[in-house]
Amino acid sequence: MATTNPLGINVEKYKYGFFEPEHYVFKARKGLDAAIVNEISHMKGEPDWMRAFRLHAYEHFGRRPLPKWGADLSTINFDDIYYYIKPTEKPVSSWEELPAEIKRTYDRLGIPEAEKKFLAGVGAQYDSEVVYHNLKQEWEKLGVVFLDTDSALKQYPDLFREYFGTVVPPEDNKLAALNSAVWSGGSFIYVPEGVKLDIPLQAYFRINAKNVGQFERTLIICEPGSYVHYVEGCTAPIYTSDSLHAAVVEIIVKEGARCRYTTIQNWSTNVYNLVTKRAVAYRDATMEWIDGNLGSKLTMKYPSVYMVEPGAKAEILSVAFAGHGQHQDPGGKVIHAAPHTQSVIVSKSIAKDGGRAGYRGLVKIYPGAAGSRSAVRCDALILDDRSRSDTYPTMEIDEEDVSITHEATVSKVSDEQLFYLMSRGVKEDEAMNMIVRGFVEPIVKELPLEYAVELNRLIALEMEGSVG
Amino acid sequence: MTAQTPFIALDRSGVEALSERFAEPRWMREFRLRAYAAAEALPMPTTAEEEWRRTDLSSLNLRAFHLDPAVPSGPSARPDLPPGVIFASLAQAVRDHPDLVREHFMQHCVRPEESKFRALHGAFWTGGVFLYVPERVDVTVPLSGAVWIQSAGVAVFPHTLIVAEPGSKVTLLDDFGSMAGSWEAFVDPVVELVVRDGATVRYVSRQDWLAAVTEIGIVRGRVGRDAQLHTLLADFGGRITRRNVESLLEGPGGSSEMLGVLFGHNSQHFDLHTLQEHRAPHTHSDLLYKNAVKDRSRSVFSGMIRVHQGAQKTNAFQANRNLILSAGAKADSIPNLEIMANDLRCTHGSATSRLNEEHLFYLMSRGLRRVDAVRMVVEGFFAELFDRVPLPGVRMALQQDIDRKMVQ
Repeated sequence: MATTNPLGINVEKYKYGFFEPEHYVFKARKGLDAAIVNEISHMKGEPDWMRAFRLHAYEHFGRRPLPKWGADLSTINFDDIYYYIKPTEKPVSSWEELPAEIKRTYDRLGIPEAEKKFLAGVGAQYDSEVVYHNLKQEWEKLGVVFLDTDSALKQYPDLFREYFGTVVPPEDNKLAALNSAVWSGGSFIYVPEGVKLDIPLQAYFRINAKNVGQFERTLIICEPGSYVHYVEGCTAPIYTSDSLHAAVVEIIVKEGARCRYTTIQNWSTNVYNLVTKRAVAYRDATMEWIDGNLGSKLTMKYPSVYMVEPGAKAEILSVAFAGHGQHQDPGGKVIHAAPHTQSVIVSKSIAKDGGRAGYRGLVKIYPGAAGSRSAVRCDALILDDRSRSDTYPTMEIDEEDVSITHEATVSKVSDEQLFYLMSRGVKEDEAMNMIVRGFVEPIVKELPLEYAVELNRLIALEMEGSVG
Repeated sequence: MTAQTPFIALDRSGVEALSERFAEPRWMREFRLRAYAAAEALPMPTTAEEEWRRTDLSSLNLRAFHLDPAVPSGPSARPDLPPGVIFASLAQAVRDHPDLVREHFMQHCVRPEESKFRALHGAFWTGGVFLYVPERVDVTVPLSGAVWIQSAGVAVFPHTLIVAEPGSKVTLLDDFGSMAGSWEAFVDPVVELVVRDGATVRYVSRQDWLAAVTEIGIVRGRVGRDAQLHTLLADFGGRITRRNVESLLEGPGGSSEMLGVLFGHNSQHFDLHTLQEHRAPHTHSDLLYKNAVKDRSRSVFSGMIRVHQGAQKTNAFQANRNLILSAGAKADSIPNLEIMANDLRCTHGSATSRLNEEHLFYLMSRGLRRVDAVRMVVEGFFAELFDRVPLPGVRMALQQDIDRKMVQ
């Protein structure tokens, strides 16, 4: 396999840059038309309303222009993508049933270790279908549902239909319309009233076939007073042709509930990562997005929180790292549509080797959202003179009784900091590493331990060769 | 309104009539015609464009306006000046100093092809100020120019061009105003500030249209090595004001201070776009825009700091503070950064809040009426900015404007 080595990383050493031979049960043809949409729905044995939903979304996708702002998306060839691939006939329930090559893939990702450490149920996505799912029994007793989204549609049709597509309608944007037409896989989580899950729910996602689009669809419903922490870690092998990831995540956080959604995204550097993530927070509810973006060719992802009832809170923490040829355009949106709502956005971005990283966001305060507060803080670190940092915050304030602040700084690693560390006997590259780790520390410390370790290790890998 | 014969239409024949009327040299007439052709070819911006998202021009019908070359516009006083300094209306300068005007007028700073409104300006400019300061000449008296509109349906294209040669120093105060009324007018001003190496230019613009004026304009400065540009833009009037204020820092050691004051009432709409463009190393920019909005007025601050590759050791600051005085008023803030160099310090901050009730309560507990307490707090809001203006007359005038806007 050609090693373009886009990050300045030794590909052989790059643990996540492996791939397995393709071996699939069914493979749809490239491109998209109504017949493929019908076929996907038919293959999945879906009810008529879902088929109609997909076709409606497909129709909208065709009509909707690509967004004019942000990065250039015109290089995506929507006709050169497989919209649906089914790796095995049905989801399996135990580790042993998994195909050997998939097991090998997961071994390298460290899933069994995660099991041994008694982590939460692992929903692992291999290509377009969730193939491995393990839900801890005690949670089943509590009434928690943690399924792949396709199974949830079959097993909980009414619950599913009540919420699906309500937070992100297909008409929201072109990529959401595409996802709505061809979605496959993803996680479905239902947490009953008052249930607080103290161990995070986790899923690993992978893309593993040339030109396979990943269109997973995640739906999380937190009933009043509940708590859940969902962790999605994405690592992808390196490929030579471009790939598209257009997921949709919908979250409903009801009265007094709290939901935390953590993502560590490390797509290979040819993936377009265009994700619509949105949560609705009701009275006194809290929604937290923690978003780490390292991989991909282009990431455009703006997790949003609509605070629709008084006392709702939103927190968005975002880390972006852009190396050679990468454009990280993450951010966040907080919509204050009710009085006494609060939001905090913290963004940390690092650009090196000609990469481009930044923050794009929106703080919107609707009339009547009195007593609302919002604070946005963006820090950027540029490690060489070929890289670029962008900050595009937008604040639309339609209410008088508010307090809104925004601060951003862009800087380099200061010579004083380096000199201090080196005077203490730390070598220059290690010192650089320490400073960058310190820079992202406020966000890393919010991650579960394994992810904090993984993120630090990934950053260390990305930092290799950045000195001298 | 009835179009009388001296009025000139905004079309190609109007361009020719205008040039005829001022007995312009052929090059200027050709310049105007080229600009008009560009204006014809360029589309009217729509809200589908990110730059124009927040200002809707669909109700602007340029055909409804006409030119009136009699609109007073130009230098408002002519004090004794050091030898070599040229301070004249632009039309006069075209006659007396054609080479200088030809070298600088809409050539290398603002150009007609940039947009529909720049092109229209190039075609229909009238009046305005030409200020030329020779090398190492220090003009110690602040100079002033003015534009005054008093007739309905008029379209005005005033042009201010300052060329400050190396090591020179000058201050210009531009005043834009109109008679009060509900009648409409259209203003498309262009201000070009050429600040050569080591020169210092201070430019103050105060806009107080009391009629329903739509203004779409630009102030752009080019700042050379070790040069300094100070701009202060004060906006109080008009129905729609859309302005770009841009500093291009092109030589090492150049610096730009950009100050802005805005106070909206009723349903006024202000859409300000600022640019701090660092193209050379060791450049410095410092922006502070303070906006107060009441009633149903709306302000938009959209600021950009762009640091080009190689512009190392840059210092760039940008601060936008908004004070919302009524439920129903709106203030949008969009402070952007695009940074392509790494050895720099770049910071921006934005804050939007309402009157602090605790401050008001404190003042009222000391015996002030609420209305006076509010005035005091608003004065305090702007004081931080006024303190940075070393022109006592300007400070006082702006203070009075703020007081008037409070009760307007």
